[in-house]
Amino acid sequence: MAQQTPIYIVASPRPHVGKTVLARLLIEFFRSGRRPLLAYDLNPRDPVLAGYFPKLVTPIDIADTRGQMMLFDRLIGRNAATRIIDVGYGAYDQFFNIMAEIGFVREARRRMIEPIVLFAADRAAVSVRAYGDLRHGLPDVTIVPVHNEFISVTCDKDDFPPTRAACRMIRIPRLSQMVRGVIDRPSFSFGAYMVATPGTPTEIHDWIAGVFTEFRELELRLLMGTLAASLARGSAASPGRGRM
Amino acid sequence: MAKPSVIVVGADKGGVGKTTVSRTLLDYFTAHHVPTRAFDSEAPKGTLKRFHPEVTEIVDVTLIPDQMKIFDTLSNDESKVTVIDVRAGLLSPTLRALRDIGFLDSVKKGQITFAVFHILGSSLASLNEIEETAPFTADAKYFLVKNYVNNTSFFEWDQATHAAYFKKLKNAVEITIPKLNEMAYEQVELASVPFLTFVANKGRNGDAANYSFVLRGYVRHWLGNVWAEYDRIKLNDIIGTVAPAKGPRVEAARS
Repeated sequence: MAQQTPIYIVASPRPHVGKTVLARLLIEFFRSGRRPLLAYDLNPRDPVLAGYFPKLVTPIDIADTRGQMMLFDRLIGRNAATRIIDVGYGAYDQFFNIMAEIGFVREARRRMIEPIVLFAADRAAVSVRAYGDLRHGLPDVTIVPVHNEFISVTCDKDDFPPTRAACRMIRIPRLSQMVRGVIDRPSFSFGAYMVATPGTPTEIHDWIAGVFTEFRELELRLLMGTLAASLARGSAASPGRGRM
Repeated sequence: MAKPSVIVVGADKGGVGKTTVSRTLLDYFTAHHVPTRAFDSEAPKGTLKRFHPEVTEIVDVTLIPDQMKIFDTLSNDESKVTVIDVRAGLLSPTLRALRDIGFLDSVKKGQITFAVFHILGSSLASLNEIEETAPFTADAKYFLVKNYVNNTSFFEWDQATHAAYFKKLKNAVEITIPKLNEMAYEQVELASVPFLTFVANKGRNGDAANYSFVLRGYVRHWLGNVWAEYDRIKLNDIIGTVAPAKGPRVEAARS
């Protein structure tokens, strides 16, 4: 079975729901595994993610066609690097509209690239509605709701039903206000902190380890799903196989 | 021999997208495997011929030898459909010439299927053109094409005026050509290939090209919408070809 290259699309139609923190964590998670990465920040006015990783993240404005070409033509390029996109709330509608209009998902899959949406969930009605619209508009794409407890303490799972039974909601635990200030520093690196800070595990250690475990489990669940689909296709293609 | 079909694409005003519409028609028939030939009356240098050189001949429809080339060969050419892209300003004279040579009589007798795609501009002059054209299209399938491909806004078209003109044309059917992303349109122009070839990421000689996936996606989506309009007016039924239950979609052209 050929290896699929994932594109993680971190998105929400609302501002200040933790998209960029989520994208940062993802980048650092893959970096810690020395995985090749390409990352894009679709917040042209305030590219915070690009500020954290200036050598890695390309800020792109998809309001014009050149920006759209710069993004989508690169996303389907022949490169095995995992892609991460931080879709700013201002670019949310346009991003998914373009994706549908140009037939992106189909073309990506033809090239063994698999889009996965990490949807920053919160309790606002607009988010719940947008999640439903996204499920409807991208019926065969895995959409994983992510509950950032720092944004809202509770989040009704029923409002964000999983698109695949195995891909349940990811939880980003709440951090104390003080520590939150530490991780928001422009120079702060989750991966470097895990490696370089000695001593007893701190709140940040536990927090990062917990989030990375969630990502690792998500990767495993996605891989299992791909394997199961591949096996199902194989047995459908040769129904007599294995029978003597 | 199947009944031949002639489709005239024209307008009396220039720059309203006649050739673009002709190109979408040629792509549509190509996709439906309908043998088609085209005549480009933009002599001496035809734009349509640049995009569809294999099936297009440049003619001057006001000259008798060229009229013979088009109409005397209708019954014995292997092409089922003849598309004529009429140069700006020549739609009414061409229709008049068709009447004079007895072509319209053959249409009336049911020997030839005749369709007119009248491309409308945004000005009221376009509505006046309809009045001029109407007497020649009584037995034709007459389509009034609102072409938004270049972002035309039909600002002068107030509803009452519009309705008054359209009331005079009982058989006219409106077609809408949607807007295409400017950069995508420009890239197809530069590539000088049919829209379908662009979508399939091929060059003029059928060799692999390297067009932007985004731009190809925009063209594919747009062409799909244009063809949906042709499906809506049952273009295949009009020209008497048997189309599959669901016509081939632009999707099939992906590289």
